[in-house]
Amino acid sequence: MDASYLDLLMAQQEQADKQHPAPEEEVAEGGGGGIWVVADVVDGAVAPVTLEALSAARTLADSLGAYVYGVLLGGGVTDLAQTLYQAGADGVRVASLTADHPSPAQADKQHPFALEPYLKVLSDLFEAEQPEVIIFGATRQGQELAPRLAQRMGGGLIEHVTAVSLDEATRTVQASFPIYGGEYFEIAACPEARPQFLTVEPGAFPAPFIDSYRKGEPTMLEIEPVEPAVRVVGTAEDADKQHPADKQHPADKQHPFEPPPVPLAQAPVIVAAGRQAGDFDLVKQLAAALGGRVAGDRGARDAGWIGPEQIVDVRGVMVAPQVYVAVGIRGDTFHNAAIEDAKFIVAIHPDPDAPIFQVADLCLEAEPKEVLPALLEVLEE
Amino acid sequence: MRMVVILGRVLDPSGIVVNRRAGRVFVNREEYILQPADRCALEAALRIKDTTGAEVVALPRSPLPDDDVLRQALSTGADRAVYLAGQVGNLPHAGDAVMARVLAAAVERLGGADVILTGATTLDTDQSQLGPRLAEALGWPQIVGAWQVETVNGRVQAVRQASPPLVGEDGGKAGYVAVEADLPAVVTVLPGALKPRYPDGVRLINIYRAEDAVEQWDVGDLVDEAALRPLLEKRGQDFPPQRERGVRVSGTPEEMAQALADALRQRVRG
Amino acid sequence: MGAGEMGYCILMEELGRVCTSTATNVGAHIGIGAMSIYLDGTEEQKRKYLTPLARGQKIAAFVLTESDAGSDAAAIRTRAVREGDSWILDGTKTFNTNGSFADIVTVMAVTDPTLGARGGITAFIVEADMPGFKVGTHENKMGIRGSSTAELIFEEVRVPHGNVLGKVGEGFVSFMKTLDMGRLTLGAACVGGAEASLEAAIHWARTRKQFGLELAHKQSVQWMIADLATEIEALRSLVYRVAWLVDTGQPFSQLAAMCKLYGSELASRAIDVALQIHGGLGFSRDYPIERAFRDARINEIFEGTSEVQRIVIASNIFREHGVRIRP
Repeated sequence: MDASYLDLLMAQQEQADKQHPAPEEEVAEGGGGGIWVVADVVDGAVAPVTLEALSAARTLADSLGAYVYGVLLGGGVTDLAQTLYQAGADGVRVASLTADHPSPAQADKQHPFALEPYLKVLSDLFEAEQPEVIIFGATRQGQELAPRLAQRMGGGLIEHVTAVSLDEATRTVQASFPIYGGEYFEIAACPEARPQFLTVEPGAFPAPFIDSYRKGEPTMLEIEPVEPAVRVVGTAEDADKQHPADKQHPADKQHPFEPPPVPLAQAPVIVAAGRQAGDFDLVKQLAAALGGRVAGDRGARDAGWIGPEQIVDVRGVMVAPQVYVAVGIRGDTFHNAAIEDAKFIVAIHPDPDAPIFQVADLCLEAEPKEVLPALLEVLEE
Repeated sequence: MRMVVILGRVLDPSGIVVNRRAGRVFVNREEYILQPADRCALEAALRIKDTTGAEVVALPRSPLPDDDVLRQALSTGADRAVYLAGQVGNLPHAGDAVMARVLAAAVERLGGADVILTGATTLDTDQSQLGPRLAEALGWPQIVGAWQVETVNGRVQAVRQASPPLVGEDGGKAGYVAVEADLPAVVTVLPGALKPRYPDGVRLINIYRAEDAVEQWDVGDLVDEAALRPLLEKRGQDFPPQRERGVRVSGTPEEMAQALADALRQRVRG
Repeated sequence: MGAGEMGYCILMEELGRVCTSTATNVGAHIGIGAMSIYLDGTEEQKRKYLTPLARGQKIAAFVLTESDAGSDAAAIRTRAVREGDSWILDGTKTFNTNGSFADIVTVMAVTDPTLGARGGITAFIVEADMPGFKVGTHENKMGIRGSSTAELIFEEVRVPHGNVLGKVGEGFVSFMKTLDMGRLTLGAACVGGAEASLEAAIHWARTRKQFGLELAHKQSVQWMIADLATEIEALRSLVYRVAWLVDTGQPFSQLAAMCKLYGSELASRAIDVALQIHGGLGFSRDYPIERAFRDARINEIFEGTSEVQRIVIASNIFREHGVRIRP
């Protein structure tokens, strides 16, 4: 078959769908069980962590012989239901909101995260549906909603899950979560209590297969407006000026809130430049794109790009970041010993014999001047 | 006003070596430290006590074999500490769901509290559920992930990161918002949020010498046995694969950049 | 502090592990400065001076050495002359730790030049704001530069008779007792310092690769580490045993001198080994080893040089056997 015939078939299918819309998914009496994913919405789109959660849910559902359902919370998120269908959800519920109760994603810009209405909606929904597993993303929403819901419903919760497997005999999810920041993983399970709650770590699960021809009709849920218990009173700056007469902390009036600085030795992401880095501006841009700090070796200091307190060396600063990108650093023993506790090291250097390649996890034998611009472009997508 | 601080202990990670090849965790030096986030929560409580003269009571986050962390809290400035002895059922292995109920009952037995402070996350397992679970068990509002906490006229105010993160011109402070809730409330404090104070030396020695410095309550008096079965159980350990060093990426600069971006995106959060 | 000598030794060990300057500041304040008041002071003196010292509101120093009287402590020349109800002190003291910021100093002065060490030296408590007390030149030292070592000048300082520490003429005995206690705790600080050197050496031995293998695989390095570790354990046993003797009120003078002698020499040896193992890196001023090397050297000199310690030990030994040595 050639492409045009395929297009014809698809067009016919769409016509058929318009005339006979797909029936709403059946909900068994007494709760259909299933694997439910509560979606995170960021910047008006479904967050990547939700899609990854759906892929994990799909794997579990296929082994359990259950359905996957998604829940969207917020205002103006109804269209996003299609994304969930395409990522593998068999059913979607949307808790529709008015402007008074914005979604968690729009929270804090104008109003605080409206915990109470969401809790009520979700607990009513789950009381009726009796899910086997409920999955959240390990985000602010997951951090606030999942434990309260679990406590309310008497379920067990495992947070920051990076891998799941199934104990089919008892239909129990065995979840791995990192210990001491990923030194090793522990596996826990909730053998009896139901529902089982999980929050999944962003980036831990693979992205699901997106079937762009899949569609569905989401079910709308009602929300009872409940006054939020936690109110936003302004930015941190405003807090310093708030209620001066009420303030019982004279010390705080003199020392307004400053976000605590993170010293280089504790920074989670570091991009370091060496003599072969070429254009230091690119290094700075990469650091900004990754949300990391700029550092360098002694060669960078000699070139005047960094100050002495940014030198990564046993004679300078010892660092232990999650990610260390060495751009154009040759990597002598004294530099390499200072990064031995880094979790993931990337090295970009033109010389294939550079010692940095012996300690790096990912080695790019290339000119930084060529790779960095392409990298910055890809990261912007 | 009464503030309750929930404290836990954790094995000092510098005494642990993980051997991925052998698939074992070697504990070279078994030393326990106060959870860093709980230490900041205690500091937040003590700062409020400094200016308002409130009472600070320390409770354990989970069943403990000894009352060391509670004595540390007392010597740093807490007024009372209560050790929860568990002879009942499975308490020594209870998880957060059970402890939330136990602690809620303990707070009731104390005669209530105005603010409950605890760490936002644990150092080893990175679980932040205890605070919200306790808030639910008590039916109180929760403020999660605070950098700074203070009480103002029957309300508690906290500064925490805006969600989603706001980008401001000044880059720094605009990312943080001030929120408030009516008392009573549960607040969880991030590790590294405040600089904790050191315990007073003489007080420390006296507290450790006094046998009855920490009160002892039995869990059986607080919650009935049926509620004490933990919901979670440990099923084993898993070790990340040996670090694959020296993985070469080849190709055109564009291909290299793509591969690198994929690897970085996975590891750099947010 | 209520923790006893054992507790104080633990404190000094932990301080010595990290920074010799800090350990010296604390040691001079508690170990010898306040100690003489603690051992020989009247109730009134203890109440007046020990209270602020214990609270950390004031800092103490122990002032004995002069430019012509180091090891030969009995040769001091600072004079104290009785005038009615007070004493007039006049003289210059050198190499005084904590000198430039001490509030309360214990000074040894000659009250009767004819009697010499036995009966001619008296201890006085002098407050820094007494007229005539001056802080002189601040010493520019090789190591422990975080500790202040200064000249102290007494220009006709009027000290009330109530500030005589112990009995007139018994200063020598008083300061010998104080120095004995100081020796033990200096040994404790050396335990910490030597152990820190050992840890640094071990860390570098397992990191640094030469000839294809980590240094730890080279026998010469292994033996250096093994010898150090053994000696540190021996020193630790000695120090804490002497601390126990002090806490149980038993004689300890000879053993305290052994602690100081062995501890200071071991600490120097340990940092020397660490420096050798680090090689060129250890020699760099940007790396902590060279500072520890300069700091460790003072331990063999101050609070009684190693030679004086040997004299003390030998005198004690021979006295037990009936021979009175004249040093």
